[in-house]
Amino acid sequence: MAERFSTSWSDIKKNADWLFVLVTLFLFAFGLAAIYSASASFAKGSAAVSGFVVRQIIWGGIGAFIYIAAVKTDYRNVMKLAAPLLICTVLMLTALLILGHTAKGAQRWFNLGFFRFQPSEFGKVVFALALSKLCAALPPNTPRGIGAAIAVAGAVMLPIMLQPDLGSSLVYAVMLFAVFIVAGMPVRILASIAGAGAAALPLLWLVMKPYQKMRVMVFLDPTVDPQGAGYNVIQSRIAVGSGGLFGKGFMHGTQGKLHFLPEPHTDFIFSVFSEEFGFIGAALVLLLFAVLLWRILNISQYTKDMNGKLFCVAVAAWLWFQIAESVAMSMGLAPVTGIPLPLFSYGGSSILVISLALGLVQSVNVAAKQDRF
Amino acid sequence: MADQKYSKFDTMRRIGFLQGALAISFLLLAAGLFYFQVANGDTYVKLASQNRLRILRMVPPRGSITDINGAPLAVNVRTFNINGYPVDLQKEENVRKVTELLNRRGIPMTEEKFRETVSNQYSAPYRSITVATNLTFAQVAEMVMDKDFGHILFPTPVWKRSYPAAQYAAHIVGYVAEITKEELETKDPGAYRGGDIIGKNGIEGEYESVLRGAAGEEVIEVDSRGRKLRDVSYVRSSKGEDMTLAIDLAAQRYAAELIGKYRGSVIAMNVNDGSIRCMYSSPSYDPNPLTWGISSKEWAALTDHHERPMMNRAISGAYPPASTFKIITGSALLENKVANQNTTVVCRGYFELGGKRFRCWKHSGHGRENIVTALRDSCDVFFYELSNQMGINGLIRTASKFGVGQKTGIDIVGEASGTLAGPEWKKKRIKENWYGGDTVNYSIGQGYVLMTPLQVLRAYAAIANGGRLLKPRINTKAPVESTALDIPPDVLKLIKRGVEEVTRSGTGRRAASYGIKIAGKTGTAQNSQGEDHAWFVGYAPVDRPQYAVVAIAEAGKGGSSVAAPIVGKMLNFLINGKKYEEEKPQENKTPAAQGTETAADREH
Repeated sequence: MAERFSTSWSDIKKNADWLFVLVTLFLFAFGLAAIYSASASFAKGSAAVSGFVVRQIIWGGIGAFIYIAAVKTDYRNVMKLAAPLLICTVLMLTALLILGHTAKGAQRWFNLGFFRFQPSEFGKVVFALALSKLCAALPPNTPRGIGAAIAVAGAVMLPIMLQPDLGSSLVYAVMLFAVFIVAGMPVRILASIAGAGAAALPLLWLVMKPYQKMRVMVFLDPTVDPQGAGYNVIQSRIAVGSGGLFGKGFMHGTQGKLHFLPEPHTDFIFSVFSEEFGFIGAALVLLLFAVLLWRILNISQYTKDMNGKLFCVAVAAWLWFQIAESVAMSMGLAPVTGIPLPLFSYGGSSILVISLALGLVQSVNVAAKQDRF
Repeated sequence: MADQKYSKFDTMRRIGFLQGALAISFLLLAAGLFYFQVANGDTYVKLASQNRLRILRMVPPRGSITDINGAPLAVNVRTFNINGYPVDLQKEENVRKVTELLNRRGIPMTEEKFRETVSNQYSAPYRSITVATNLTFAQVAEMVMDKDFGHILFPTPVWKRSYPAAQYAAHIVGYVAEITKEELETKDPGAYRGGDIIGKNGIEGEYESVLRGAAGEEVIEVDSRGRKLRDVSYVRSSKGEDMTLAIDLAAQRYAAELIGKYRGSVIAMNVNDGSIRCMYSSPSYDPNPLTWGISSKEWAALTDHHERPMMNRAISGAYPPASTFKIITGSALLENKVANQNTTVVCRGYFELGGKRFRCWKHSGHGRENIVTALRDSCDVFFYELSNQMGINGLIRTASKFGVGQKTGIDIVGEASGTLAGPEWKKKRIKENWYGGDTVNYSIGQGYVLMTPLQVLRAYAAIANGGRLLKPRINTKAPVESTALDIPPDVLKLIKRGVEEVTRSGTGRRAASYGIKIAGKTGTAQNSQGEDHAWFVGYAPVDRPQYAVVAIAEAGKGGSSVAAPIVGKMLNFLINGKKYEEEKPQENKTPAAQGTETAADREH
């Protein structure tokens, strides 16, 4: 275990999955365009570009640096730190909970001045590392293996659920389930977990806050509260639908421009994009996301290292859930959760943590190719 | 060995499964996008444009209502509301600013109360709420100049209905109030929206479509807060039509003064064209608070009041017509040839039928009476005996000709039709046979027959104008409509002579001593719940009748003492244009007497 893995620059150049890099960059660029349009009306005075775009570019730059650093460091070295990082994350989440409790309100981040550090975002990559390491060593086909995985997942998810941040905890649950599938959990246990999850949904209703219940209710029927909570759902669907086949054109979306969409640069970024670029644009973005996730799973197939395999699966499940939820929500087909669209939504925590995750996936790819030759 | 725990092949297969699931899920998302953006794109394009476009309805001022002399009965007052958006008003600094602004302009407001106002009306951040109401133009002009006003608040003009005649014309004019859910469902959906005001009663209700006018539309482009960005289109509203009523407000006031504390009503009608000059129902109410909005408690107090001030007794109150009915019974007797002008009956003070005595009001008896003297003396026995000979059917036929049991068709809502009654009606309603005694009672306007004061008045107007049953009307523009009575002219002439005798030498002498010669008939309706109701109905001038007036005072006991002076004075007022002043010879009357109130006017 004391072995240090190293990746040389030439290895990286030779073995990197450049399509994977290209797709990532394209998605980030489309996201920038959408943020530019969505936040245009926030631009103050003569500034042609709002602060959101500038800051997103800065985050992207830092993200690129992290991405390269992750590849250079080699995921196997990072994997060694999985346990201490997990403990740190759980401690931070617990601290946040106590802080939030004394402040009498939900608190999801530490304010570091220049940036709001969100442990539940950072925790996703840590969880992916820890879970893949655990399940590779102790497959979830024995009570012990399953118990250990669930204990680790519970330790992270519980404080997030208590924040309350149901959306993020669902991301963790999806990651856990995907890893269980690939790590060889017997099919009947998988089926019973899926069944139990479905049965537990009504229980979720009991612990939900009134505003969360309202969101679910307006999802089922937006006309329940067309002026209030249902407003977002209705307006977002109108934005997406009115984009038509070709869209209204860049900067010509009316729904986003006239503030009918709440949070147009974060939660509803896909609605803004779909309105301006239509079905063609939205389908293209979906295709790019599909390629990205497909590549990640291909890398998972390709590598012989079980740690890397499961890590890729965890990252793919995480991104998949956020994409599917965000896109479905923009059409009013899923409840409003406030989960960001990966690479698209404005937000430092999300961009940085995804850069790290994708960098580590790239590292899995480079290492796998190194092994083969 | 790792291979014992799970097979490599299985892992590869499972990742492949995930890739398949991934592909399917993205295809589903794309299908969803296709459904909304391509298949139903047009719908959402339309929705998006409606989203940006706000259609502002501009409700025009209602037509005003004046009396025959141009005195205002219903007018519009322009008031202003001050509005703002919750997104602005919820900001702490603005709470302070707006509160200070309001206080500076004389509208008392505390920060506490202001926050409450905002949160009470809050529905969405971009739905404007009302901060202050009922401001005058001057107040608003001052406020708009204030430096804090423009950024946070904006004024909206609001028309409010006001009734200067207040309780004096309440039952005629009616009032307006916010449209109810039920009304909204029955009305043309293009014309009305929730929150609109609508005529509820009287002229306001009956002529709603005339008075209302047509709402205009202003289409503007707005942002999500509803802030106006630019004009798109504009359709002018058209003002409602003004109305002039046949009513004379001075006569209304006089009627209120004459009937005083009694419950009842006074109606005056032009006998030639059916126009209603006066229609006062006592007690009355002030319609102004109803229009400006009252609490449900106040409303309940008004509608549940034991004197029922909201009820228009002139058209909704059905009473036994009592002796005023004798012109109809008389007509029936003559028309059916049961009697002629020479037929006499000896009144001993009672009439006996089946061992039961039906008393005349004069217990000592009137002696020998013919049709004219029987009307003059209001002799009951004459009508008892001959009606008993004639039978109920002849009586009902003639009563029906006079409009008993039918609505008069007056142009305000809420009219009662009264009860014509008769054997068939009794069988159906009370499940009993018609007895001779019922006919006897019916003949003097007691028992099952019920009439509204307006129906009684119309019957007398028909006698006065020579046989035309008029449709009463309040709107001067409504057409004059009448139907012929279909009763021989000599019959009507004889009845008319009898009615003229009443005030010359009979029971209604008192009515004829108020400055004008009138013809008319008293009535005292038996009231099972208390004192008798006092009727008087008459017309003047006798030779060429112009006006007919009816007065009923509930629990007023005798028709001749309470109701007759009201009718006499009202006819005098309408024809001579002045109030009657007692103790003074008519020649010395001052021209200024009209509109002033003197103690001498009140006669008891």
